[in-house]
Amino acid sequence: MTLSRRFATLASATAVTALLAACSTAGATGTDPTEDAGDPVSGGTLDVAFFPDNAAFACVDPFQTYWIEHRTVIRNFADSLTDQDPETGELVPWLATDWQVSDDGLSYTFDLRDDVTFSDGTAFTADSVKLAFDSGAATLEQLPTAYGAVYLAGYDSTEVVDGDTVVVHFSTPNSAFLQGTSTTNLAILAASSYQATPEERCLGDVVGSGPFVLEDYSPGEKTVLTKREGYDWGSELREHSGEAYLDGITFTYVAEDSVRVGQLTSDAIDIAWPRNPISENDTALIQSSGDSVVSRSLPGPANTYYPNVADGKILADEQVRLALQKAIDRDSYASTIFGTEYPAVTSIYDTTTPSYQDHTDDLAYDADGAADLLDEAGWTLGDDGYRYKDGQKLTLSTPVIAQFSAGDQLIQDQLKAVGIDLELNVITQAQRSEVLAAGDYDLISTYYTRADPGVIQWIVDARYAGSQAQAVNALTADQTAEVQALLDRGTTTLDATARSEVYAELQDYYLEHALAFPTFERVQTAGVSAAVHGFRFTSESFGDFADTWITP
Amino acid sequence: MTAAVLAAPGVPRTRVLRWGPAGYIAGRVLQAAGVLWAAYTVTFVILWLLPSDPLALVLSANNVELDSLTPAQLAEAQARYGLDQPVLTQYWTMLTNALHGDLGTSTTKGVPVTQLIAERLPGTLQLSGLAILLALGGGVLVAWLAAYVRWSPLRLLLTRLPSAGVAFPSFWIGLLLIQVFAFGLGWLPSTGSAGPQALILPAVTMAIPTGAAFAQVLTRSLTDTLAEPYITTATATGLSRAAVIGRHALRNAALPTLTILGLLVGGTVTGAIVTETVFARQGVGTLAQESVLNQDVPVVQAVVVLAAAAFVLVNLLVDLLYPLLDPRIARSR
Repeated sequence: MTLSRRFATLASATAVTALLAACSTAGATGTDPTEDAGDPVSGGTLDVAFFPDNAAFACVDPFQTYWIEHRTVIRNFADSLTDQDPETGELVPWLATDWQVSDDGLSYTFDLRDDVTFSDGTAFTADSVKLAFDSGAATLEQLPTAYGAVYLAGYDSTEVVDGDTVVVHFSTPNSAFLQGTSTTNLAILAASSYQATPEERCLGDVVGSGPFVLEDYSPGEKTVLTKREGYDWGSELREHSGEAYLDGITFTYVAEDSVRVGQLTSDAIDIAWPRNPISENDTALIQSSGDSVVSRSLPGPANTYYPNVADGKILADEQVRLALQKAIDRDSYASTIFGTEYPAVTSIYDTTTPSYQDHTDDLAYDADGAADLLDEAGWTLGDDGYRYKDGQKLTLSTPVIAQFSAGDQLIQDQLKAVGIDLELNVITQAQRSEVLAAGDYDLISTYYTRADPGVIQWIVDARYAGSQAQAVNALTADQTAEVQALLDRGTTTLDATARSEVYAELQDYYLEHALAFPTFERVQTAGVSAAVHGFRFTSESFGDFADTWITP
Repeated sequence: MTAAVLAAPGVPRTRVLRWGPAGYIAGRVLQAAGVLWAAYTVTFVILWLLPSDPLALVLSANNVELDSLTPAQLAEAQARYGLDQPVLTQYWTMLTNALHGDLGTSTTKGVPVTQLIAERLPGTLQLSGLAILLALGGGVLVAWLAAYVRWSPLRLLLTRLPSAGVAFPSFWIGLLLIQVFAFGLGWLPSTGSAGPQALILPAVTMAIPTGAAFAQVLTRSLTDTLAEPYITTATATGLSRAAVIGRHALRNAALPTLTILGLLVGGTVTGAIVTETVFARQGVGTLAQESVLNQDVPVVQAVVVLAAAAFVLVNLLVDLLYPLLDPRIARSR
């Protein structure tokens, strides 16, 4: 959708005056909506404008949806067994008061709260947990590719010990499961939801135990949540455990960034929640009207090019990969595409991912170093400014879906400076599978949102990956053995510190051999009205509105 | 394009006459059905020729790549969407089902296409309907004023105004209207489809290019008509300038605009795509955009046939109206 870029350009043009202001004020926030602002006041409806709904897969079922806006909605109407501290990555009790993991990592015992009810009045019990996980497994039988698959990988069965104790059994270890229990994806729904078909659940047949109740889901149009009366079991990460202050939340879907921002500054909405980070100009506009912009990196693998290192491909040569790594100027990428205050990516993970390690030095821009490496590898500069070896041009191809390609064009320019020709193969979403299967690419860009480092398996480990071809091509046979061994240690190591060391080793390995080329940190931003207080980002950078209140 | 179209070369004109008006209408309806069938078939062929696998699309909508499925799962998925049949069989099945009112199931949304259309059509009909009315009213007003006003700077401005209206892209007009009337003055909502107020800005946005095109043709036609001798006669009888333009010139000048009216109504379908996106409305326009991007074949087919039907219907009406407005056409038949 090339239109939206034109719209964005236009919006920038209309904000010429703001542009000047942006230089001095970007980054400084006005009133901070996450800070304490006196005694909360109950009442009012929060109006949130999102990026457009998923046109290809309208779904609010926690287990099936991957759309990050829907995961914010789900966080507010459904609770999970545990909650994850955004600061430390530690898990804290929520619907489960305590848990133990067996030494072999195959059994998880949860002690459950006995005072929780779903919004349809039924009680939350050990049976609810068993039903939720069994239904997840059943959904996977029917739709093997549902998004929840990776969260329940290796699931065997759930055993109800008594009314408030369950043991979840796995056939293969899945150390990320514990973090999984804190996610929206494994939120526990009432029994009535699981009597509905997966399709019906997608379209809104979902009942949770959260601080809000899903009143209406009209795909693409709006989602309405109302306050759950009598709610009293929020996790300790919230400021208060009781009923929400808001009477309800209305989420609408607005395609145009400039319209969403205009709605916020003209007080038509309370929160503007875009998919792409709010631009520098829009940030200045929002701040000049007294509102503020909050931001937090989305955890998980950063936006990254993964290479195709299959035999015969140019990137099979580690020397060339190392050169490519040096040829990308990530600081300039962040400031050019997103604005001067935007952080550059510093590892293969975003900074909010547990076990993240700062690898700024390994990702430093060094065009001369890149040129030297390419010279050594036998790629010499031709008259046209591109490099050649045995008559072959140093052309790397990457498939891009037109609507997201501004950053790719910048990388194309950066690589040209060292003599690498980056070919942007513009395709539709539909063609991506074919390109992958045919191995008809050198670099492919992807990311994943989950506050657990192990989720990289979904991208690079052929045993779990969403795309077989992509995972197989991303590593040579020897590298596959090493990486899978590391990943297996990750999924079987239960001790948090030891586990972190494993993923630190993985990050080292990836950057030492230049097997991933991070391009940008994914930051969730939101424009928040000055009247809104008590806003909280969850560990996965979704919005939690249980503590939110509006100045009357 | 009326009788001449119907009368094939070599067929004596008297046969058309013998069939009478009923035969004429029946012929036009048959022709309309032919156009619809052709639109349906051409869409199917184009979508089939596109380089991607529809199944890969459905799966990637679920964030899954085709290659991660086992052959058995693949076969099952293909059978579920009827993609295991030969192309001609698929075409024939789709066509016969469509004739029975079953337009199939959206491959990405999983609901019947007729249900989708039924949900999305009313909003777009309201929007297009109001936009056409505004376009007609505005177009006639501008053209009439351009002919009536004698002060040449204003006259020039009014004559040039439609060109500007045609030239500005409608998304820009939409954003401008939002900035002024929603964010600046706060009179009207910027987005959504709640209440009649929400209809005004998008309808005006759609009406501007449509009305401008209409005004362009009408102004030109009116200028030509006003040079006719009978206008001098009318003026000589002592009629006021307003009456001469309104009663005598406009009626005759309106004929060519009737033809482009058909085109403009068809154009509102494409206009709705941009307008509905900017104003965050759920309608047939956004449905078309979504389904084209996701290659949702049954939905694209339905939207194309719907647009073609609107087009054919309006043109049919225009053709039938001609003889009523201009007795010379009826006589020549």
